[in-house]
Amino acid sequence: MKIPHIVLLSSVLAAGGGAQAQDTLTLGALVTLSGAGAAWGQGMKNAAEIAADQVNKAGGLDVGGRKYQVKVVAYDDKYQANEAVTVANRLVFEDKVKYIIGPVGSAPVLAIQPITEKNRVIVMTLGFTAKALSEDKPYTFRPNVTTAEVSQPQIDWLVRTQGIKKVGALFPNDETGQQIAQDLEAAYKKAGAKLPVKEFFERDRVDFVPLLTRMLARGIDAIELDGNSPATAGMIVKQARELGYAGKIVRTGGPATQEIVNVAGKAATQGMFVHTPIDPELPSTKAYMDLYAARYKHSMNGFSPAFYDGANLLFEAMRRAGTVDDTEKVRAELERISGFEGALGRLGWTGKAMYGIDHQLDAPFYVAEVQDGKEVIRARCTVEGCR
Amino acid sequence: MDWTFLATQATVNGLIVGLLYLLMAVGFTLVFGVMRMVNFAHGEFYMLGAFGAYFLVSGAQLPFMAAVAITFAGALAGGALLEWGVLKPFRRDELNGMIATIGLAMILQNLALMFFGPDPLSMPPVAEGVTRLGKAVVPTARLYVVVFACAVLALLYGFLRFSRPGRALRAVVEDMEIAAIQGIRSRLYYPLGFGLGAGLAAVAGALMAPLFSVSPFVGGAPLLKAFIVVILGGLGSIPGAAVAAMLLGLVESYASLLLAGSTADMLIFAIVMAMLVLRPKGLLGRGEA
Amino acid sequence: MTTLALAARPGGRVGPLGMAGLVLLAALAALPWFSGAFVQHLAVLVCLNAVMVSGLALVARCGQLSLGHAAFVAIGAYASVLAARHWGLSFLPAMLLGALASALVALLLGWAILRLRGVYFVLVTFAFGELLRLALLDGAALTGGANGIAGIGAAQVFGFAFDTRERFYGLALAAALLSLWMLHALFRRPLGHAMDALADNPALAESTGLNVHRIQLLAFVAGCALAAAAGALQSRYIGYVSPESFNTSVSIGFIIMLVIGGRRSVWGPLVGAMVLTPLPELFRGAVQTQHIFYGAALIVILRFLPDGLASLPRRARQLWSRDAA
Repeated sequence: MKIPHIVLLSSVLAAGGGAQAQDTLTLGALVTLSGAGAAWGQGMKNAAEIAADQVNKAGGLDVGGRKYQVKVVAYDDKYQANEAVTVANRLVFEDKVKYIIGPVGSAPVLAIQPITEKNRVIVMTLGFTAKALSEDKPYTFRPNVTTAEVSQPQIDWLVRTQGIKKVGALFPNDETGQQIAQDLEAAYKKAGAKLPVKEFFERDRVDFVPLLTRMLARGIDAIELDGNSPATAGMIVKQARELGYAGKIVRTGGPATQEIVNVAGKAATQGMFVHTPIDPELPSTKAYMDLYAARYKHSMNGFSPAFYDGANLLFEAMRRAGTVDDTEKVRAELERISGFEGALGRLGWTGKAMYGIDHQLDAPFYVAEVQDGKEVIRARCTVEGCR
Repeated sequence: MDWTFLATQATVNGLIVGLLYLLMAVGFTLVFGVMRMVNFAHGEFYMLGAFGAYFLVSGAQLPFMAAVAITFAGALAGGALLEWGVLKPFRRDELNGMIATIGLAMILQNLALMFFGPDPLSMPPVAEGVTRLGKAVVPTARLYVVVFACAVLALLYGFLRFSRPGRALRAVVEDMEIAAIQGIRSRLYYPLGFGLGAGLAAVAGALMAPLFSVSPFVGGAPLLKAFIVVILGGLGSIPGAAVAAMLLGLVESYASLLLAGSTADMLIFAIVMAMLVLRPKGLLGRGEA
Repeated sequence: MTTLALAARPGGRVGPLGMAGLVLLAALAALPWFSGAFVQHLAVLVCLNAVMVSGLALVARCGQLSLGHAAFVAIGAYASVLAARHWGLSFLPAMLLGALASALVALLLGWAILRLRGVYFVLVTFAFGELLRLALLDGAALTGGANGIAGIGAAQVFGFAFDTRERFYGLALAAALLSLWMLHALFRRPLGHAMDALADNPALAESTGLNVHRIQLLAFVAGCALAAAAGALQSRYIGYVSPESFNTSVSIGFIIMLVIGGRRSVWGPLVGAMVLTPLPELFRGAVQTQHIFYGAALIVILRFLPDGLASLPRRARQLWSRDAA
């Protein structure tokens, strides 16, 4: 009597197991989870997790006739190039992942590319440096727009509609700050204004009064906040207003409005012009924000939707290529995707003119004015221009 | 550019910031004077003070001064306890004690990270708006902090000068052995000295929490400033720290005016190194190098 | 007290326990060649760290603690990379140049500051470390600024390229063993004994005719040169240098490795590197717990085992012989 039971049980299990035979697809998340940049890293990791969850709930990722449960494995690179290399080693050689979301920083992505490119691992990075994308790095993609894409159209619009002539800006003394300083200076010049006052400071500085004093004395009519972490930007706004500065404040990149308002207060931020990559009115974006808020308690960082779209683009590319293992095929399909409807809107790839390869996501973005602590969209933009 | 205005503004900025630096540094120099120990965890006590003020004001809705007082008491007790519990074996051992405080700092910072997360929190300001001193503009909130800082320093001075424990502490700073002969028990004064140093650091953190944001990482800058002030002024000398802090504030302010930001930073480090090489005692210090 | 904690006994013969230890170590050293790429990566890092911390150990043996050690690693890395890039030097000459540059800087700096004792020396080295980092960040034209220098070629010696992990591990292992052997040889000589005497009681040492300043300077220069050589190696392995990889927390990491491994033993740096380098991998999920562990371990070791883990065998032997006696 026992034996037939066991036979019955095991055959039921085998049958059940066979019908649900699930493979696993592991997505690596090489992101900054501590220190500066943690907010961005968290947003990216959470985006990957939400995308994975959605796909798993629908029964798994259906590729080439097999269903895959998507798992996200995340490690902290502490925004340091050396750590990123160790983590990349672990992800690629121990965890055997072929797809990586991250890193956040420019130095980390440059450091890991020798490993990922050689081993044909597709990387979706936030790194702002222009060197991250190039023809000889066919496996690196960037789903978020950077200063290089957004600044010119926005600055053109700002100079045109707000009459800005002389701009001052503070930048942290790291690779992102230096890169953005360069890009912005060129953009303002092209738009017909000037960025003559640039100050670099040590990343953990909190007292900007001396630097601001120097800046304000040069008679600027706008302060540019791009390149600064959200908390630092908030400090700058607060201290500038405390010094009695009444001119315009703009931030042409790096979504951070909520944090800035938290630090500086509604009065100080009234009338600020900011870049925002998301239009909360857009149904697809709102849907993602709701998903995020339901699952995570803290507010969503503005880069998160871009990486949600990045993960989904990866999944779509795998579906079209019919394989999760042959990254050469997946990559080819990924490049071909255009007109994809993501959380941010209609997406395609661009960037050949600037980087030599179309691996930069072309997504719409907006210029918003801060009214009473909230963003009100004033202009809609693409890389072509703002309206 | 109106140079007189700039110079006045820079001077005012420099003096205010100098006073803030003094507040940050005075606890550090006291601990070194009493225990000949370089306390690498100094910045973390500052950070804990900032969090203390944040939670008491934003969470428990206490008035600001009450929050600062409670934070001070808490840090005093906590510091004394830590000294007695963890640092006692290192009382005569400068180098190892210093390394132990590095370990302590790591523990404190990461505990804060675990419990409070990495994101900066912001406190409502103590006062809004600006005050004008002649042509120069001073944010009123900073003026408040300056006034409170002066009050704290005056209290400290009174304590050290006129109270028995204070005088005993000064005796210990002057000469440990003679103080012991006079009957001052070092077993009591080590924890007291350390606790007081921690308390002062925490008060500095609490006072400055509304000015700058509050996060587990805010301790690095005060530690650095304290180092610099105390090296320039002389380890163990509070008047030296006062002079050095004001000078540091002014030099930084003027340097930021005239030089690029990072050059000003490098200049400060170069000055510190030069001071250590040419006059290790500092401006008014007493220690042997 | 000069102690070769693990192997030696009075008379310099290696006892049976020591033999067993060495055999174990040899097995451990050979292991990475039979493991996956990630283990090899960790093994390379352990060896490089061992060399860097050995440099720090040299300085510490004379009684001084450097909080700017990472700066000298940086000098070695940047100098060798720039020499290779701009003057076409091949790996070995470039590495030697890096070590030389670092030695020169250490000579100038040390000559001025080594007479400072204890905390003052620590603070000056800290200031120097920060100064160098800021200079690297600012000198974008030469150093690439915050972006650093990427695409550094693999190390090549007489045409043999160390471009795979297995090969590089061999090189790193050789470097680690070489530095260990150098330290061992040094501390059996009179000069090494002089250094230890210095650490224990400088005044007494000076009264016996030792030139304290000169010996400390020698140790400082040698220690920094060693660190620089390791830096040059590291730059070839990772293929990338940037100023943020050489900041104060890296220097603190070296101090932690040295203290936990053992300041008085030749094996200390290796033990410290072996214990602490792979640890972050165990803690990958919980970064804060890892750091709390470091801090606690530091305090515990300082309190109960001030000569570090490498002194455990000696302590055990002492306890055992005391029981037996």
